[in-house]
Amino acid sequence: MAVLTSSWPSLRPLDIRRTALVIIDMQVDFCAPGGWVDQLGEDVSNTRAVIGPISEALAAARAAGMVVVHTREGHKADLADLPLNKQWRTRAHGLGIGDMGASGRILVQGEPGWQIIPELTPLPGEIIIDKPGKSSFHATDLEDQLRALEITCLVVTGVTSDCCVQSTIRDGFERGFECVLLADCTAAVETDNHLATLDILSAFGGRWGKISDRFAFQQAVSGGGEGA
Amino acid sequence: MVPPEPGLSYKSVAANPYAWPFDGQWSSADTALLLLGLQQCAVDALQAREAVLAARDLLLLAHEHGIAIYAARRDARPEKFASDDHVAQAAWQWARDIALPEDAHTITHAGDNAFYQTGLENSLRSAGIRNLLIAGLPTDGLVHATQRTANDMGFECLAIADACAGTTPARHAAQLRITTFGNGLFGAVADLAAVRAALTPS
Repeated sequence: MAVLTSSWPSLRPLDIRRTALVIIDMQVDFCAPGGWVDQLGEDVSNTRAVIGPISEALAAARAAGMVVVHTREGHKADLADLPLNKQWRTRAHGLGIGDMGASGRILVQGEPGWQIIPELTPLPGEIIIDKPGKSSFHATDLEDQLRALEITCLVVTGVTSDCCVQSTIRDGFERGFECVLLADCTAAVETDNHLATLDILSAFGGRWGKISDRFAFQQAVSGGGEGA
Repeated sequence: MVPPEPGLSYKSVAANPYAWPFDGQWSSADTALLLLGLQQCAVDALQAREAVLAARDLLLLAHEHGIAIYAARRDARPEKFASDDHVAQAAWQWARDIALPEDAHTITHAGDNAFYQTGLENSLRSAGIRNLLIAGLPTDGLVHATQRTANDMGFECLAIADACAGTTPARHAAQLRITTFGNGLFGAVADLAAVRAALTPS
């Protein structure tokens, strides 16, 4: 069995049967032209740049028969699960969650902008988690589904590194999952915040999560890494 | 100092990126101070006495105004240490500069998040709390992890920057910058002086 990197998980072998690839919020609203972030006038080039690398990691995971999890941030049509301050902040920012935009209502389930981008469409049998918060564990059954599958390690990708990715890794750590972030498969709208997230994750020797990349991941899941 | 009448609000706090709280409503009836990880071991490891002294002043200020105090610390109870390991026992205690009032609520948590597998959320909700002033150690660890969870739960959070210290100054600053991104994805950030000004009658 292969070792993912020299630093994760603590030089122990990667057991692909107990590892899930998690792809966070690769939705039109976050990383496609005409989505929410684009409509806010912010640059989606960072979040688009990781589509190719994530596709490669996803292909490797699928070929190895690994568990794959896709998450979607979104709210119910009646916005009953949308905190008032979250709505207020996004409206004050320029375009509020639940309001009508160029790709339908912003971050509302079922709307065009809420969909996962076509390049990363989930396959039947892959887990899809609909989450109302930043953490993939908040108000979802992700933990139960992972436990039922005896998953203990999470390889995390997606957007944005400083927001939902960081929240998911922190909550994964808290629940005892070993988390590794593929640094070339995640991005933030602002590069400074992306780099700071990687630095923060190095605190206490990578207590909350380790850093790797898609090449090490591909090598590990294809069995081409160092023997363990 | 007398708390405002029920239904009245203190002045908004001059905060980044918006005047906190978002709807302008905060009082002792709906606001709590959440102190995180103010244990002597963390103070020593992070060389964070300055932040702890600010947290102490924030604690006194909040208590004077009748704002409920919640203090959380990591579970490393003395019985887990060898009986002769007095250093470890002392390290688990609250920071020497912090004296909690008798009516403070204390939370013990196992990891790096004061909400996980504790009664904190229920305790806050049953007390009618919707706004949280947050301070403690480290900014980029327990403090921010807890604030993220509070934010997902819908609490309106204000991190008190000078009453927090990070694992490095750069991470402290970056974590607070990330907090304010996107018009406050995880809430707002202010200094102790801004909270004091908001609580001072004009």
